[in-house]
Amino acid sequence: MSGGQSMLFVLVGVVAAVSALYAVLTRQILRSIMSLGAFLTAVAVEFYVLAADFVSVVQIFVYVGGVVVLMLFALMLSASGERHPLAGADRPGLGAVLAYLVGGGLVVASLGAGLPEPGKAPAQTVDLLGRSFLGGQLFAFELMGVVLLAAVVAALVVARGERQ
Amino acid sequence: MSGAATFAWGALWGAVSLTIVGALTTVLVLVERKISGRIQMRVGPMHTGPHGLLQTVADIVKLLFKEDVRPARADAMAFRLGPLLTAVPAVLSFAVIPFGAPLIMRDLNVGVLYFLAVPGVTAVGLLLAGWASYDNYSFLGGLRSSAQFISYEIPRTLAVVGVVMLAGSLRVSAVLEAQRTVPFLVLEPLGFVLYLVTTLAEVNRTPFDIPEAESELVAGYHTEYSGFRWALFFLAEYGALFAASAFATVLFLGGGNGPLLPAFVWFLVKTLAIVFLTMWIRWTLPRFRSDQLMRLAWKVFLPLSLVNLVLAGLAMQVVAG
Amino acid sequence: MTAVLVLSAVLFAIGLFGVLTRRNAITLLVSVEVMMNAANLNLVAFSRLYQPELMTGQVFAILGIGVAACEAAVGLALILTIYRRYGSTDVDRVRLLRE
Repeated sequence: MSGGQSMLFVLVGVVAAVSALYAVLTRQILRSIMSLGAFLTAVAVEFYVLAADFVSVVQIFVYVGGVVVLMLFALMLSASGERHPLAGADRPGLGAVLAYLVGGGLVVASLGAGLPEPGKAPAQTVDLLGRSFLGGQLFAFELMGVVLLAAVVAALVVARGERQ
Repeated sequence: MSGAATFAWGALWGAVSLTIVGALTTVLVLVERKISGRIQMRVGPMHTGPHGLLQTVADIVKLLFKEDVRPARADAMAFRLGPLLTAVPAVLSFAVIPFGAPLIMRDLNVGVLYFLAVPGVTAVGLLLAGWASYDNYSFLGGLRSSAQFISYEIPRTLAVVGVVMLAGSLRVSAVLEAQRTVPFLVLEPLGFVLYLVTTLAEVNRTPFDIPEAESELVAGYHTEYSGFRWALFFLAEYGALFAASAFATVLFLGGGNGPLLPAFVWFLVKTLAIVFLTMWIRWTLPRFRSDQLMRLAWKVFLPLSLVNLVLAGLAMQVVAG
Repeated sequence: MTAVLVLSAVLFAIGLFGVLTRRNAITLLVSVEVMMNAANLNLVAFSRLYQPELMTGQVFAILGIGVAACEAAVGLALILTIYRRYGSTDVDRVRLLRE
């Protein structure tokens, strides 16, 4: 990565971290989902900076255009009546301690790893990805289709089952 | 390009796109009202300026000076964010539209996918606007719009996959290059029809305008909006309509390819022809019912788009000889 | 590269914190998505570092995004069912495993 790209990466990274923190901490569920949307967009930008343009656009497509909409949809269906749904009180701090420990450990390990900077990225990412999907990773690709189908059926069964 | 130059170019293009969207909305609203007048055998707006040409300009001035009313119990942040999130993707999608060969902001590796992905964010905006208004009509409009968006996105994307198969690339310039001799409309007529119909659903236009449905939902998600925020919804609608028509031109009509005239002119002529087609449809057909609309998406368009994929494969074989 | 790893670690910790402490089912799902994204970021970064021509990491990031979408769909269907039965999306109120 060049100097400008590194700077952009750090800048957007701060945005991502702050929005993720807000999404996790806020009591208003609507704000939480919106903040998640901002976080996902920031991560998409990070993917683009890392020269993974296809992943970046898929992230916007599936996450922001799909998952966030689904979440808003579920929120609105499950909070009928109250228009500013709040989450209840939360568990006290053992989880916080654990998260601090895991996060701190990971950060220390990353700082100590001393990995080299990545080299130049290939230009034709989409071609390479396509070859990979239908070549070496074909099994994973096919499996993904099965998983998606199973998820669709499961979601339908779970959501409709109660009504009868 | 260096970082600063890229940034400057992006900022410039952003300003240009905003101007284009603003000007387009002004013109298209007037054109639409005139066309609807013709189709319904009346004259349309006639009083402001010669033949009513200044009608939308006057409307804009009025909208900008209007009071910004917000329902007392509305969620302030979501109420503000809603119109923004509907309008911004429409402007962003102009980044990959080739107005003639050199006039494209960024010829992304994944340009076609970008164009499909970015306007999808509009659904979030509509849902938020409907929810934040604290009004049952708006709420219903918001819910309907998101369900419709998610349903029609699938056949729409599959219709475009056919084109991508034939072009062998997601790059906008490569798609245009592949159509130098034969536009994909010839090879992919079903794909074109699918793209056009699902696009009508994506930009919420009749016969798919149930999120708005002025006669039953009192304009749906934007019932409670006024002044400039309301104008943003209009910008979004016409900006997205033009962008989607421009992309239909790119994907199926060969973009700026054509004899004699410069690419820019050809591009505009083809795009405006499609815009006219959508207006014609809007003022001719009645609106679908909500359940009919869903059935249409899942039981008609989805299978058809799969058939289209097979046809695209056959067309690939034909082209390859 | 260090920047990527640190960012990913911080995001993962934030997501973990959410999963461990929040009680609302939708916020839980939000936290899980944050963790998934932290993992994807690492996959993409390492893919570029070690095998820029093979794209294996990017392939798995895309599969990860797909799995996240599945998980969100099924998870939200579950949340709606729970809401219909218990009138709340607070996971601590769900104590019964049978009808």
